[in-house]
Order: sequence, then C-alpha cells, then structure tokens
Amino acid sequence: MSSITLGRYTPRDTFIHRLDPRIKILSLILLMVAIFISYSTWEMTFIIGGILLVFIFLLAAISKTSFKSLFKSLRAMWFLIIFLLLINILVKPRNAVNIAFSIGSLDIYWESIFQSLKIILRLFLMITLTMILTTSTKPLDLTYALEWFMKPLKLIRFPTHEVAMTISIALRFIPTLLIEVERIMKAQTSRGVDFKHGKISSRFKAIISLIVPLFISSFQRAEELADSMEARGYNPKAKRTTYHKLHFAWNDLFALLLCTIFMAATIVFSAMDFTIKTPLFVPWLIIGICGVLFYLFGIGAENARRHKK
Amino acid sequence: MKLKFNHVDFYYGDKAPNLFEALNDIDCEIKEKSFTCIVGHTGCGKSTFIQQLNGLLIPTKGSVFAGDFVVSSNKKERTKKLRPLRQKVGIVFQFSEYQLFENSVEEDVAFGPTNFGVKKEDALKLAHENLLKVGIDESFFKKSPFELSGGERRRVAIAGIMAMQPEVIVLDEPTVGLDPRGVKEMMTLFKELHDNGTTIIVVTHDMNLVYGYATDVIVMDHGKIVYQGTPNELFDKSVDEYSLETPLMTHLIQELKQKGYKFDLQQIKSLDDIVDVIAKQKGGAKNE
Ligand SMILES: Nc1ncnc2c1ncn2[C@@H]1O[C@H](COP(=O)(O)OP(=O)(O)OP(=O)(O)O)[C@@H](O)[C@H]1O
Ligand SMILES: [Mg+2]
Repeated sequence: MSSITLGRYTPRDTFIHRLDPRIKILSLILLMVAIFISYSTWEMTFIIGGILLVFIFLLAAISKTSFKSLFKSLRAMWFLIIFLLLINILVKPRNAVNIAFSIGSLDIYWESIFQSLKIILRLFLMITLTMILTTSTKPLDLTYALEWFMKPLKLIRFPTHEVAMTISIALRFIPTLLIEVERIMKAQTSRGVDFKHGKISSRFKAIISLIVPLFISSFQRAEELADSMEARGYNPKAKRTTYHKLHFAWNDLFALLLCTIFMAATIVFSAMDFTIKTPLFVPWLIIGICGVLFYLFGIGAENARRHKK
Repeated sequence: MKLKFNHVDFYYGDKAPNLFEALNDIDCEIKEKSFTCIVGHTGCGKSTFIQQLNGLLIPTKGSVFAGDFVVSSNKKERTKKLRPLRQKVGIVFQFSEYQLFENSVEEDVAFGPTNFGVKKEDALKLAHENLLKVGIDESFFKKSPFELSGGERRRVAIAGIMAMQPEVIVLDEPTVGLDPRGVKEMMTLFKELHDNGTTIIVVTHDMNLVYGYATDVIVMDHGKIVYQGTPNELFDKSVDEYSLETPLMTHLIQELKQKGYKFDLQQIKSLDDIVDVIAKQKGGAKNE
C-alpha cells in the first residue's frame, strides 16, 4: 500500500514547505535543466552530478522528506536499471574505446557503464526533486500555482480555471481512491481472494474483483460530486477568489536566485567546455559550493529560529 | 472456534505525524458459539478490532489466537498461511454493498466458496440456499448485482459470506440503512445461525439489538475494551458510565418495576415476554 503513496504530501513546517508553490515549480524546472545538461567529459558529468546529488539530498533533508521513501523509489526502478544496463551494454556507444572487461567474446566498455550510470543518476535526481516538491506542497497549492502559470493562455480562451479545477479534484481524490482500494481489497480478501500469489487466471479474477467495484463507486462519487456542486450553484465561468492568496516573499526570491545560479553555472560549465584541468576551475567550484552550503545553513538557522517561536 | 486476544496493540501508520494508536492493550476472549455485540462510539476502533480476527490487519504488538491459527506481531509465531483462516472467520464489512462485482447475483455469492475450493455447481447450490435465507428469491438469482437496491445488495453480500460456511461470522454494522422490518429479519437470521452453532459477532450502535439478541457484549472506547460481560449487567447499572443509550426495553422494565412487577431479566428478550410476565403476575390468563 505504502508504495503507491510515495511522495504524498506530509504536513510539516520547514523552509521548503513555506516557499510559494509557484517558486517551487519554477525552481524544479530550473534544477531539471541543470540535471539534464551534458558535458564533454565523463569526469565533469559525474562531478557536477555528484554536486547536484548532494545539493538535492540537502534539500530533501531540509524539507524532511524521508530518505527511506527516496530509496524505495530507487528500488521500484530496479527493472529499469537492469534494462538500461543491458541496452547500453549490447548497443555499443559511438565513441566507446575503453574496454572495462569482456565476457566471452562480448566486450563491455566503460562508456556503456558510465552511460547507464548517468541515466540512472539523472532519473534518480529527477524523481527525488519531484518527490520533494510533492511531499512539501499541498496538492491544492500546486494546482493554484499551475492555474497561475496558465494565466496567459486565457487570452486564447483556454479554460484555465476548468482545467485547474479538474486537476485539483483529481488530486483530491487520489487518497480517497487509495482508501477505497484498500477497503475493497480487504473485503475481497475476506472472500478468499489472494492478491499476492496464485495462478495468472486467478490473479486476473482478483484484479477484476477489485476494479469493477472501484469503477462503480468512482462513477457514483463523480456523479454525486457534480450534483452537489451544481446544487450549491457552482458556475465555472464566474470570477473567483481563493481562500489562501499566494504571495511572494524574500525567501522565495532567495530560493529562485539560488536555483537560477545553479542552472546558469551548469550551462556555463557545459558551454565553455570546462574540465578539471581548466585554470581556476577548482577554486571557483569550491567557492560556489561554500556559497551554497552557507546559504543552506542559513535556511537551517531560520528553521530553528521559527521553531523556537 | 475460540477467539482470544493477548495484549494486542494496533497502530495505523508507522511514523510520528501519521502514527495512530487504534487499539490499545486489547486482552479478551470471545466465547465459542456466543452472540457477541461490539459497541462504542464512532472511531473507537471497532472495525479495526474485527479486522484482527481474520488476519487482515496484523497486531503491532501481541497476538490473536483463532482456533489453531496464530496472528501474532511476532513473525515466527504467526501462522504461515492465513487464507484458510478467512474461510473459518467470515467478515461482512461496513458498506459491504460495494464489494459486488460478478455478472449475476448467484455467481457473486458463489465467488467466496469457489475461492476456497468448492466446485462450481456445489458453490451455486450453496449460493441459492443462502440467498433464500437472506430473503432474496429466485427471480433475483440471474440479475446483475448492480440492478439491486442498496438493502438488497447488502443482503447479497451477507449471503456471500454465509455461503463460505464459516465457523464465525463477523458483521460490521449490518443493519444500518435497513427498514425496521429488514432489521428484524436480518437479526432473526443471525439468531438462527447462532442457534445452529455459528459464533456471531455484530458491531452495532443500536442498543435495542444488543438487548434483544446478544449473549455477550464488549464496550470499546478510544481503542480500549472498557466493559465485557452480559448485556443485562451492562444495562442494569453501568450504561451511563460509558454514555451509551439505554435500550427501550430496559426503560420499560424499570418503569414496570416501579409499578410493582417483578422480572427475571434472563428470560425477557422482547415485548411479548413482558406481556407474558404482566399477564402472569396479574393472575390473569396467558396472553392472547
Ligand atoms: N487506514 C487508516 N489509517 C489511519 N487511521 C485509521 C485508518 N482506519 C481507521 N483509522 C483510525 O482509527 C480509529 C478507529 O477506526 P475504526 O474504523 O476502527 O473505528 P470504528 O469504531 O469502526 O468507527 P465507526 O463506528 O465509525 O465505524 C479512527 O480514529 C480512525 O481515524
Ligand atoms: Mg467501523
């Protein structure tokens, strides 16, 4: 059960929880760009990858995202990881020259291994970032943020409010559906269904016994919701205000700035073809890391101060 | 089948903000062939309690013994295969009307028995028998369960558990939303099952049902068992202590006692019994 609820919002009071959801989405995009920038040498790829990993883990620590669930997500990817390794080993990369070892007549190149590691690292970073976002932001706030980002689309008569409403309702009902799934599974388990073991045919039947009641009750619920919204005079065209107004604050600016610097730095490193041997690369890198650490300690201190209050 | 709880704790969630102590040191025994009612306020843990009985929920601490089965927090002591236990202890859940899925009513009822290895024809036979028992007649057998009313679906769901021929039947608020006659029919059915040797456990909020049918009663509050004993003792003195409703019958008997009538509480289960007693004590002929 808990594997489905990975990345579910957990109410806490941390710096990242308090950030404006719009800023969080923007920062996510910026950091994603940073993750996906490629470099000319493997060393650079893994140095920057490592720095990003440490940075994102620090973010996870600040937002109190459970590391256990992060690694659970990695465990859920094991199939993908093996698949990637196989593909990369069987399909020889273009500039592969360094043979790591050979199995029989099959040569395995360092490049293949690095390539797979790179993809896995990127995926893991991406998932971690998204999980930090979803565990630290209320789903409803996310939809408000999305609605805000879609505002320009109103000019071309895109139904932004309706789309945002639909998304927020869908998000709202995920936990409800999970509870429903659990309830129906328990009821069918009591009738002798075995969801975990058994032959393919009986497993199929087990799934049917779960899906059918789930669909029926979902449709029923959707209908009831629509009726009750109509009964209360819901009008999608009406202009509406929200209970919580989103507003930017200083900490939002800081967070955005930090992420922008991160992205800019990676772009610069990539475009100017920096390598470890480039003069002044190491000093600049150290200064940058110190700056980031300083900033993160600042956040920690602020958290502690707020806690005391 | 004897059911025994040995210092059972159960927590929902595993970490601090989500952790919830739903059961707290439950230590009790439910007698074989008893008709036990479980009462208590909303959210006190009744549904959580009954799910321990067939291993749907595993205790966080302590163990539950059901016949030869052991459902323990300790993996080593726990019975490996819990599926056979689910045939022995059948649970009809709250909102059981939403668990039907087959194409026809009879197939849905036969689903349970076939899962436990009964042959298709025998399962259908069992289904027919039990559907008739719960008051669903032949004309419904081939219908889709989704064409039935809520109350009819509930009956089908109950038949679905009965068809598994369990030794213990647990029902979570089975009479909610039924009309008064339906309630009476259902309770009479459970009483019949009880008379035929099945252990019946019913979760309910209706004290009148507890008064009329239960041989034992368990009162829960905030995840603890605060009372276990017979309904008569409970209603005689300590109802107010647990802020439960007093059954209408108890009210009536107390009023009549003040008027000088004497009652043997063991004998009185329904209005008819009271009329008998009054008639007898007035020295008149037996009640017509
Ligand atoms: N899946 C769950 N996760 C977390 N907490 C839960 C879960 N299920 C129940 N609880 C909590 O455990 C407590 C006991 O719930 P339970 O369903 O056993 O109550 P109940 O006595 O059956 O109530 P009712 O009379 O309303 O059916 C409740 O406070 C509830 O909030
Ligand atoms: Mg309940």
